[in-house]
Amino acid sequence: MKQAKSRSHSLSSRLPFKGAFLPLAMSLVEKGAEGFGYGRREAGGLVLAMEELFSFYARQATADSAIDVDLEDQGYRLALTLTFRMANPDLRAFNLTWNCSLDSEESLELLGPMLAARSVSSLRLDFGTDDQVVLRLARNRAYPPAADVPLPPGGLKSPLRLLEPSADDLRHFAAMAVAAGSPFLPGFLARPGMAADMLAAGHIGALLIEQDNWIRGGVLWHPLTGSCLELYGPYIFGPDADAQGVTLLLDAAVARISRSPYRGLVRRQGVLAGFERFFDFLGELHLRRGDAAIRSTCYYRQLKEESSGTVYCAEPLASFLDKQYDRLCLPRQIRQAGSDPARLRDGSVLAVELEHERSLAILRPLCAGKDMAANLTAHLDMLRGEGIGNFLVELNTGRSEDTAFAAPLAETGFVPRLVIPDAGQGDLVVYDHPAPEGRV
Amino acid sequence: MNLEALIPEYVRGFQAYVPSKPDHLLMREYGASMLHRLNNNENPLGPPPAAARVIAAFPPERAAIYPSGDSYDLRQSLGARLGIAADRILVGNGSCEVISSVIKAFCQPGDNIVTADKTFAVYEWVAEFSGIEARLTPLRDYAFDPQAMLDRIDRHTKILFVCNPNNPTGTYWTQQMLVDFLEQAGEDRIVVVDEAYREYIDDPEYPDTIGLMERFPNLVVFRTFSKMYALAGLRVGYLAGTEAVVEVVRRTSVAYSVNVQAQQAALAALEDDREHIAATRTLVREGMRLVVGACRDLELETVGGAGNYLMIRTPINDMLMYRRLMKRGMMVRTMTGFRFPGWIRVTLREIPVMASFAAILAEEVHAIRNQRVPA
Repeated sequence: MKQAKSRSHSLSSRLPFKGAFLPLAMSLVEKGAEGFGYGRREAGGLVLAMEELFSFYARQATADSAIDVDLEDQGYRLALTLTFRMANPDLRAFNLTWNCSLDSEESLELLGPMLAARSVSSLRLDFGTDDQVVLRLARNRAYPPAADVPLPPGGLKSPLRLLEPSADDLRHFAAMAVAAGSPFLPGFLARPGMAADMLAAGHIGALLIEQDNWIRGGVLWHPLTGSCLELYGPYIFGPDADAQGVTLLLDAAVARISRSPYRGLVRRQGVLAGFERFFDFLGELHLRRGDAAIRSTCYYRQLKEESSGTVYCAEPLASFLDKQYDRLCLPRQIRQAGSDPARLRDGSVLAVELEHERSLAILRPLCAGKDMAANLTAHLDMLRGEGIGNFLVELNTGRSEDTAFAAPLAETGFVPRLVIPDAGQGDLVVYDHPAPEGRV
Repeated sequence: MNLEALIPEYVRGFQAYVPSKPDHLLMREYGASMLHRLNNNENPLGPPPAAARVIAAFPPERAAIYPSGDSYDLRQSLGARLGIAADRILVGNGSCEVISSVIKAFCQPGDNIVTADKTFAVYEWVAEFSGIEARLTPLRDYAFDPQAMLDRIDRHTKILFVCNPNNPTGTYWTQQMLVDFLEQAGEDRIVVVDEAYREYIDDPEYPDTIGLMERFPNLVVFRTFSKMYALAGLRVGYLAGTEAVVEVVRRTSVAYSVNVQAQQAALAALEDDREHIAATRTLVREGMRLVVGACRDLELETVGGAGNYLMIRTPINDMLMYRRLMKRGMMVRTMTGFRFPGWIRVTLREIPVMASFAAILAEEVHAIRNQRVPA
């Protein structure tokens, strides 16, 4: 899987970071989206986000600062990246729980970023060196749901054959996966056109197997983070004697991505029989679907031999990590964190990713603060109010802003379940929040 | 500074190779009290005695003087040994340097090279970070598949790389197979045969590549002093070809890249290699017998042949097996990076080390099989 940024599908501009240039910035996004063939609805969200973020942060920017605007048509989505330098940018409004009060001038000012965060398909914040702030926003194209397609008949006889799929092959495979009612379908597979466009853009990789001109199964992979791929599948349509299809797909997929830049491969889709040859067992997440308790089983395999690091954290996270690292034979040094709670900023910030199909919210710390426990509780309350019943937190062991959340997470009922090695800045610790009894 | 804008597209997506850390750090990280490196196919006997003496007696004042820029004396000696003119030899800082020189000499963006998917990775890497397409063909029965390679040739194909014997599978082409391949490949492209492990083979059917150059002037051979001659730490490799081909490759090679001690040691190694090669072959043969037997007892599949290495199929994923063995002081090579997931490659060394490895492997395999694995 090679992701390439095509210069013919992107535009870049550096603008003075001043309110006077806001119309130009907005126009850049609006006209650019139009030029790349996006509709008003898709472009509108990004234009609004640009307006709100530009005007909010331009007010905080120093007089001579600039902002880099990059707009890229990635086929299935329009990606907007804003890069600027700012010491201590105000990020509180990115919290999903931020409530706007008409009585508070400060609250009204923060309304803009909140609107921006909610008008796009995804928003990611990265902090670079020298006070660099990178806001990555994207708005997906609208895709129709899968059409009904036939599944392979029984009694196919010829040997299974690997197939490097074209975008059309993958579109058909995705529709078959939907028709087969395959469990753990990622959102992009539920929209076959999106899967096809993502393959064409190099944002997912895939291998299929076919037999007697029928697609019999497939496996896909997609970056979970900058250093870790997530594997989806293998999905097999029909019987798979001696797991031939699964083995063929997994051997070929791992061989295919083994020389990629990624350090690890994770699979989070439930039990896989005979996983030992391909994966390490990481653990299980305790989730609920309706009245039923379900366990999401997670596997992992390293893709590079070198993996080591130092983790600064406090109890109870340290004991959990120590046990996991020992079990996985991972060379890690755990050192006591020395952070002073009094020196934390007042407000913490959490990013939230929602998966409505699984009634799932994934929370990721952006900034630590004195209100971490209260902020977590507020997120839980608000998300429960919106019908969400499953909560995960992903915490980077290499980021002190993240590990500072360990004690507040324990305080608010989150339980560390597993560690995905090298999946973020350091390893990624995944917490779940045991749901209260009852339907979610 | 917009660094991204400066980077060519084909370099942007490329990940730098991360070599393993020094032993003392690895031992500390994994809590191992000792460490046997079974990962790089080094020769535990060390260099031939004459080379060892040259290294030990190296006068410090020579470090102040540039070496011969083109390894003059070493090329003369190699030429005499191979029965060819010294100008048909180009010495490099390990064979990796000559791989790079050949690709730079003959390829430009838009061209391609053809090699196998499961082989020494450097041909593919150098091509890719130079903007050259690497066309990879699957192995057949763990060996380079000549027809599959021929099928991938087009008018932009400039070089075909054959690793003979193949690292990591140990399979090799015979003289007749290579001749057939060269005849079908034609003269319009370079055929490189990498013979890094040739000295481990004692088979009259193994190709006489130097002899074949008269008939096939597009044939280039790579050899190294890193494996059999145990000079891996000094980095000396070379290529041989026709004068015309070598003259072109020399244009893209860096002079003075092989240091003076390396040149002297390689020269001495060549002149004192008969008993060294015999002793090394015996060591490898005995090590192979021991480890293959141990794997058979454990019902672990193995793949090996020529070369001082053996592939073992592991009951768990190779990366986890690597970490488990590291904790026990045994450093093997995982085969995921060679596109053989679920396999490790082990360097065949002296019997006590191999016996220790076999015992530790057996303990780990038994522990894995006995442990209740959650599923």
